[in-house]
Amino acid sequence: MATEVRPDDRALRLGRRERALAQMKAHDLDVLVLGRTANVRYVTGAPTIWTAGTSSFGPACMLVRSTGSIHLLSTWDEGIPEDIPRENLFGLTWNPMNTIEVLRRVEGTAAARRVGTDAMSPAFAQVLPAAFPAAELVDGELAMRAARRIKTAEELAVLRQAVEVAETSLAKAVAELRPGVTEKELAGVLLEAAAAGGATIPADQDAAVVTSREHPWRRAGGDGRAAPGDLVAFTAGVVAHGYIAEAGRTHAVGGAVPAALAARCDRVWDRLLAACRPGAPASDLLDAYTGIGETLPPMPAARGLGLGFDPPVVTGGLPRTAAEERIEAGMVLALTGYVWEAGTGAVFRRDSVLVTDNGPELLTTAPVG
Amino acid sequence: MTVTDIPDVPDIARMRRETGQKLRDAMARHGVDALVLIGNSKVSYATGVSWPLGDSGLAHVDRPVAVVLAGDPEPHLFMPFREGAGPGPELAAGHLHDPVYLEYDEGAELFAAQLAGLVPSGAVIAVDELTGAMRRLQHRLFPGGLVDAGRIVSAAKAVKTADEVACMRRALRITEEAIADVERAVAPGVRQVDLSGRFVRRAFELGATANVLDPIWQVMPPSRAEGVWTIHGDLALPLLTTERELVRGDVLWVDVSVSWGGYCSDFGRTWVVGQDPSPRQRAQFRRWTEITDAVHAVTRAGATGAELTKAAIEAHGDGTRPWVKHFYLGHGLGVDAAEMPFVGTDLGDQFDQSLVLEAGNILVLEPVVWEDGTGGYRAEEVMLITDDGYIMLSDYPYTPYGD
Repeated sequence: MATEVRPDDRALRLGRRERALAQMKAHDLDVLVLGRTANVRYVTGAPTIWTAGTSSFGPACMLVRSTGSIHLLSTWDEGIPEDIPRENLFGLTWNPMNTIEVLRRVEGTAAARRVGTDAMSPAFAQVLPAAFPAAELVDGELAMRAARRIKTAEELAVLRQAVEVAETSLAKAVAELRPGVTEKELAGVLLEAAAAGGATIPADQDAAVVTSREHPWRRAGGDGRAAPGDLVAFTAGVVAHGYIAEAGRTHAVGGAVPAALAARCDRVWDRLLAACRPGAPASDLLDAYTGIGETLPPMPAARGLGLGFDPPVVTGGLPRTAAEERIEAGMVLALTGYVWEAGTGAVFRRDSVLVTDNGPELLTTAPVG
Repeated sequence: MTVTDIPDVPDIARMRRETGQKLRDAMARHGVDALVLIGNSKVSYATGVSWPLGDSGLAHVDRPVAVVLAGDPEPHLFMPFREGAGPGPELAAGHLHDPVYLEYDEGAELFAAQLAGLVPSGAVIAVDELTGAMRRLQHRLFPGGLVDAGRIVSAAKAVKTADEVACMRRALRITEEAIADVERAVAPGVRQVDLSGRFVRRAFELGATANVLDPIWQVMPPSRAEGVWTIHGDLALPLLTTERELVRGDVLWVDVSVSWGGYCSDFGRTWVVGQDPSPRQRAQFRRWTEITDAVHAVTRAGATGAELTKAAIEAHGDGTRPWVKHFYLGHGLGVDAAEMPFVGTDLGDQFDQSLVLEAGNILVLEPVVWEDGTGGYRAEEVMLITDDGYIMLSDYPYTPYGD
């Protein structure tokens, strides 16, 4: 992070935009209308104000394939790259027809045949056709997802920086673990450390959880205080330059994680890592659990990382998707190892992993508790 | 509602009962039999469940989904699990479901099958938003056509229950206590990101559920012309936080927001770094106070938005609107950090005339005063609208400009 608001570096943003344009061609899209923050950042390279959680769909950026022009929702030019001229910026408005009017006047919209949007609301489904009178409105998220799934070299460089901040903040929080400390205090330490490292934006604010001895995945409940012997799961999820890095570890309060449970988690984790080979079906990541009789965790076993979530999302809730999806070199995955034992608690581990032609490269290096 | 109606500790079960009733009343007015909600704040409103919100990018795939049925007082919740976001208040038996993954065709198909089991055939279903996979499966998910759920939820949540106000007041107290700690730390040489870190840490220690806005510590320019270029020539706001170090005399416009129990706080103040405000700067604050006093005088249930904007403009003295062009004089607050009612937007005076404040609305008043060479003045006040006026929910001094 710098002392002024800057757009993403030229090579980073142009490399991404090229991938987006290629996918527009592959998906036969003349125009993309994007509302999701991650997609807007991917295409424009412009940082925007962060608010937590999902926001309602509305056009924030438009990319026209024939001209390569970008129109962007921004009231000012700070942080806007020079390839998006001032006249292509449009302002916040409470009347959606104002936005429609802006889009309608852009070269290439009147004749567009297929327009992709990355989500849709009933309200915009009514008014967007006015901007694209000749077009069929279709899903554009598939094209964006295809572009995002494989990282460029420049993306990997910033992802590595994000991982570094995640790991530093994780270590700071782990160092504060002691009997009596609360989950929230630990979360506060972690988030403060991430901010000091320049990552003021959390990917995840559920940073510390006292795992339950009674339930396989609920938090222990009560006052959120760590007691001797509790297993506490830490997750650092930070957003740096828009990119999400994740690292997670479990530590025991006042001692070591019980060896048998740790060994079970290690065994799953070794199999998860081994499944990160180009060409392998993503379902191998589910098999990493089920193949040795472990229960699938309640969260995805693996999920792509980048600007937000990326494919694949590998969960027991989507078995067909996992079987059809292939692991590819250039994907970055958050792998999650999670095992639980009644009366003891859970051991959780999350790592950011890059898939290369030669197999997985572990980006996280934090010690295991 | 009076001050004594607002409980110290909100009763979450009662809150869900009452908000659920409002929601079903709004559904009935719109002739809707079921709601499918996928936006984080709308799910939170419909179910009373709160969790530490994450980055929007991850939130798309990890999102809870709510289904509200006209004939069932209990909402259905499809809840993902990340590291600990277990369901908060206990839901009725059979109403808590495994997560659904609506970003994927397979996930949308599985959800369609579950939805068909919950909703009678031929039901009119409203939805707030559709993922690509939901669009591809639209005719199976919503065979009766598509109705906008956004308007239904907006209409229901504009008037708050006493428990909702209690949640917001709790979020405000956490914010104000954390911000007091930050204000003491403001000094030349401190970086903006350090203020963010300190604020977030303290807010979590005090029990915040989540930080909902990357905190703003915007250093104001000496003049409008020397500020960041904008499409309308007015001030840029809010500008992003960086590792910039504060220097003596910087005027900071502060804006932060956290949530507690799913409800947001809002906080805005103007600070000067390392020195007292000059007489000219104090005059900016006095003008701001005159504007808010004038607005307070007309604020009550039954007043129109236009009455408030008129009072603000008259008190401003030069006939112009004392707020930045791309925002508003005031906005609502609840499960969203800015929601209805919006007063003074680009929807124009006619809209403001048609907007009638109701008892139980929350209005965050945030006029802006600007004179080149002073850094201006901006602050935010959170008010609960009542039949005969308002209850001020914010409780923080206007230091260093005044009390």
